[in-house]
Amino acid sequence: MSSVVRPRNEGPPSSPSVSATTKARSIAVTGASGFLGSNLIGMLEQDERVRRIVAIDLKPAATGGEKTRSYDVDLTQPAAEGRVAEILAEEQVDTLAHLAFLSSPTHATAWAHELESIGTMHVAVAAGHARLRKFVLWSLTWLYGARPSNPNFITEKQALRAPSGEPFFADKIDAEDQARKLSQRAPEMVVTVLRTAPLLGPTVHNAITSYFARKIVPTMMGFDPLVQFLHEADAIAAMHLAVMRDAPGTFNIVGDGVVPLSMAIRLAGRVAAPVPHPIAETLTGLGWISQLVEAPPSFLKYLRFLCVADGRKARSEMGFRAAYSTREAVVDFARAQRLREVNLLSERTA
Amino acid sequence: MNPPKKRRRSDAPPSKPFLSGGARPTPRRRRLGASSTPRLPVEAGAVEDTGAVANEADEMHEARGVPREHFSADFRPGEDPPPSSQPLAFEEVDEFGYDPAYEHKVLPLLELLYEKYFRVEVHGIDRVPPEGRCLLVANHSGTLPIDGLMLRLAVRREHSRRRDVRWLAEDGLFHFPFIGNITNRIGAVRACQENAERLLEHESLVVVFPEGKKGIGKLFRDRYRLQRFGRGGFVKLCLRTGTPIVPVAIVGGEETNPLLARIEYLTKALGIPYVPITPTFPLLGPAGLLPAPTKWKIFFGDPIALDDYPPASADDEILVGRLTERVRAEIQAMLDHAVAARRSIWFG
Repeated sequence: MSSVVRPRNEGPPSSPSVSATTKARSIAVTGASGFLGSNLIGMLEQDERVRRIVAIDLKPAATGGEKTRSYDVDLTQPAAEGRVAEILAEEQVDTLAHLAFLSSPTHATAWAHELESIGTMHVAVAAGHARLRKFVLWSLTWLYGARPSNPNFITEKQALRAPSGEPFFADKIDAEDQARKLSQRAPEMVVTVLRTAPLLGPTVHNAITSYFARKIVPTMMGFDPLVQFLHEADAIAAMHLAVMRDAPGTFNIVGDGVVPLSMAIRLAGRVAAPVPHPIAETLTGLGWISQLVEAPPSFLKYLRFLCVADGRKARSEMGFRAAYSTREAVVDFARAQRLREVNLLSERTA
Repeated sequence: MNPPKKRRRSDAPPSKPFLSGGARPTPRRRRLGASSTPRLPVEAGAVEDTGAVANEADEMHEARGVPREHFSADFRPGEDPPPSSQPLAFEEVDEFGYDPAYEHKVLPLLELLYEKYFRVEVHGIDRVPPEGRCLLVANHSGTLPIDGLMLRLAVRREHSRRRDVRWLAEDGLFHFPFIGNITNRIGAVRACQENAERLLEHESLVVVFPEGKKGIGKLFRDRYRLQRFGRGGFVKLCLRTGTPIVPVAIVGGEETNPLLARIEYLTKALGIPYVPITPTFPLLGPAGLLPAPTKWKIFFGDPIALDDYPPASADDEILVGRLTERVRAEIQAMLDHAVAARRSIWFG
């Protein structure tokens, strides 16, 4: 199946004689039409170690090529686990990347709960049933929670202390729990959880990009926390790495360095509007209910306190190193955003 | 009001000798988009895999049609700055939030406080090692925590190597608007084991006040009587990381805001530990919080090396307790001696 010619000279160093010795892989991706899913599929299409890509989503992935087979599965449906297990068995899938998560908070919290929390349960059950070799889960460093008592660099050992009243975080924390339970149920399975820093880049869309897309960006008066971002390209590279290399455990995937929030806003070419935080919380609460702002008030904590993760474990154990620093990620986002504003860049080039 | 916001790149300070001990921004190498901050050095051996990652990243980027030079090459292991040179150098702030340009801007005010207001006198500064990790352990005082700042200035001005000092501040500070932010930009770091360990790994000079909140909330009648030294966390830290301890006694600081009483009634709801009652506060309003112009003296004691103990002895609570007490007794003795020899609070 390796008819796709690699664009450049040699392959990744870890696979000098890959097609000769190891069995070609079959990889399933949930959330295949999402940002991470579709880009991961695009990369896997070009990877000659991969024989088959199984795209699981309601919509087919735009990046799918001749290796990709799309399956229309709604993870919120009660019988989803049986359906997924069937697909995994039929396609002889060895690795599943579970990326079916929302990257921005939604008002449809009941549906989000079904998709993220229950959907992960379905997928995990199916993965255990199909005796997969590897299960990769996408998670966020946001789940550590922004608190003044956080260390400057949070390691993977720290408990997830995001505001549990906020469904956006609670569902994802629950998804991580499901992954942990899966690794206990099936100890021989490689279970990798990648907690990515907030994604920024020229094509990605999420709560952070819409925050920086405002002309005037609200900040909390008197607070200027250090923030950390991950470039979208690095996020995709990390997913690819986790799929191709065995690294069991939980990893923070972050860009190097930190910038103060005020500096990030200036790098993005925006104007900061400091608002006293009690007022901001009231206004954001009203704005969220009336659908005028992109996030509920519980996100404002991230504009006041630290939530920066330590990426050293991913570097030493997984061999991942972000190519873009936090600062470069902001600059790259800002450049694309500027073109987007004068209609020189069409939406969604991914 | 939000200080770092107003600064412009062009105001970056000239390299004065005073500041050159700290983390300096490194010159830009490429155009803006590709300009990169120097990477944090990593331990040797941790980077052996980066070649592989580099390749994958390159590949992917080409697949996305982004020009190669934009993306590649700046993370080959060979291009890392040597780990020893400037471990905390970034363009705006270092990884703990210290902002050299902002500090430079407020420096005149800080120096005024140091030179003219408190007239700080430093004794035994040469006992601070010229290089390598070291923990300064000092008595804590003042309703406003300015002792860390003065200690930082003292070492930066008087030490032969003008060493950069980071002090660990109570996390209560970071709850508050402005104050937490400003102290962070001029060198304070939230006190916790993880932060202290990371700083010491960078061979920094770190100040801790083991009395913590109890130290700041000391009543005037308890001045210069050291409170409980936490749970000995700083000794465990030093044992684990092989860091020597230099005891420091700060005289003068405990009279700047004489605390007559603490009101703890209903303050939890406001997120503050207590309302201080001093001769001037709340009588004169916020101005009553200004520190009194006492004469300050800072004494550095002989370093206490903990090399004889293996790192595993950090789990030996008895030993930790004994060492903690030893450091406490040493600082208390220095304080007692200095306070007894002092003739005036105002003139030393």
